[in-house]
Amino acid sequence: MCRCLLLVMRGVYQVIHQFKNNGYNIVLDVNSGMVHITDEMTYDVISLFDSCGKDELVASMLQMYDNKEKLDVYEAEAEQELTRVTFQNEIEEIYNTISEMKKEGQLYSEDIYESYIEEFGNRETVVKALCLHIAHDCNLACRYCFAEEGEYHGRRALMSYEVGKKALDFLIQSSGSRHNLEVDFFGGEPLMNFQVVKDLVAYGREQEKLHNKKFRFTLTTNGVLLNDDIIEFANKEMSNIVLSIDGRREVNDKMRPFRNESGSYDLIMPKYIKVAKSRDQKNYYVRGTFTHNNLDFSEDVKHLSEKGFEQISIEPVVAGDMESYAIKEEDIPGIMEQYDILAKYILERRKEGKWINFFHFMLDLSGGPCVAKRLSGCGSGTEYLAVTPWGDLYPCHQFVGEDDFLMGNVDEGVTNEKLREEFKALNVYAKDNCKNCFSKFYCSGGCAANAYKYGGSIYGTYDLGCELQKKRVECALMIQAAEDNSSN
Amino acid sequence: MKHIKTLNTRNLKNSMKKGGCGECQTSCQSACKTSCTVGNQSCENK
Repeated sequence: MCRCLLLVMRGVYQVIHQFKNNGYNIVLDVNSGMVHITDEMTYDVISLFDSCGKDELVASMLQMYDNKEKLDVYEAEAEQELTRVTFQNEIEEIYNTISEMKKEGQLYSEDIYESYIEEFGNRETVVKALCLHIAHDCNLACRYCFAEEGEYHGRRALMSYEVGKKALDFLIQSSGSRHNLEVDFFGGEPLMNFQVVKDLVAYGREQEKLHNKKFRFTLTTNGVLLNDDIIEFANKEMSNIVLSIDGRREVNDKMRPFRNESGSYDLIMPKYIKVAKSRDQKNYYVRGTFTHNNLDFSEDVKHLSEKGFEQISIEPVVAGDMESYAIKEEDIPGIMEQYDILAKYILERRKEGKWINFFHFMLDLSGGPCVAKRLSGCGSGTEYLAVTPWGDLYPCHQFVGEDDFLMGNVDEGVTNEKLREEFKALNVYAKDNCKNCFSKFYCSGGCAANAYKYGGSIYGTYDLGCELQKKRVECALMIQAAEDNSSN
Repeated sequence: MKHIKTLNTRNLKNSMKKGGCGECQTSCQSACKTSCTVGNQSCENK
């Protein structure tokens, strides 16, 4: 029998990814992004197609199915020979279909993007998004906080209006012809400095008219200080609001306590319900983190869904191995199972007419971003920068406080050109592990900060995160297959 | 389904023609602050 490869490779790059999930045989043509649902025989033919000729493939299939006793539909012994002929004809028909699809670029398509992305990387560098650290202070003491309770390895500080204004001016001046500019009010806890948030939004609205730009403001909050006035303001001005909560009360309160150790769940939950309803269940996320302490995190998503939330994001914690709550390698199989449970739950819930959108299972197959966006990284250090309360610039919020990653400040702009070039050169082809990964069009090479913290280089990968990312893509594709199936 | 069914998918190769305008949302500005997820972003240049 010729080689049966579940991962079909062309040159060094994986061109086909096949997997089975929830009863669906799914084939992803990696480089075109086309997704095919197949029966069992076609699935097996595809796994053999690119590694042997037609005759060899037919022989392999006959042998494989004899061994697998898959010819059980033709049980009568007298019909065995006829059965083999019918079976052979069917394999040949499938083979011809696959050949046709290959010609049409729907299967086994080549990776033609490497030079395109290099060329794309030579584009003018503009800044289009800022993460404003409005407050390096926090009224919670979350145990996994990468900002170290808001202080980011530094001192407590609130951003002044003057610094914020300079940051918006810097963004406008550095944005070239980009029309849509994004500003996230982040912390620490940004509502500890809400007056500055309000004033900066007013300033941004004034400036966007003068410069023909459109500001999309977003807010990431722990909810402690949310009140009706803030909700009204956010509904008017914030294109998205991210509400931090980890799910079930005991899970949330273990990791997201106040400084006096008391839990935050009871205070924030009613406010979040109000925010979600007042935004008509759109343009917000309840966002949580799961850790080694709640490896049954699908229960947390269910809890949030049953509380009425429709937009949910729960992400694995990123933490050093020495932390008790860090995700360990041995946790991975259980987490994979949780994603499967969650994907099935989402399908059931939607069938019942209760909408739920899980951020990491979202895929827009018919639209979605262009290949340039998909392959050129998240934009940190180039299009996207973080601004500290005193106006220093870092590649993103996760690098803030890392002295080696200081990029400049709002007065002088980006002064560390070398670092900017390093980030600009980041794309999936710059990372050996990514070139050959089927998920490269969905994660864009992963998070540079995670790669740095895990392996000491922004050009590396965070392997544990990669495994989970790949599983999430598979679950997302399964959901698409199932919903397509039920709509026909 | 006879043997194979293709979901309604945009062929990524077609997006090379007028892609790269950069007007779409930055991935970390949505709901993930600790990973990178681009497959779910919306194209603003359809």
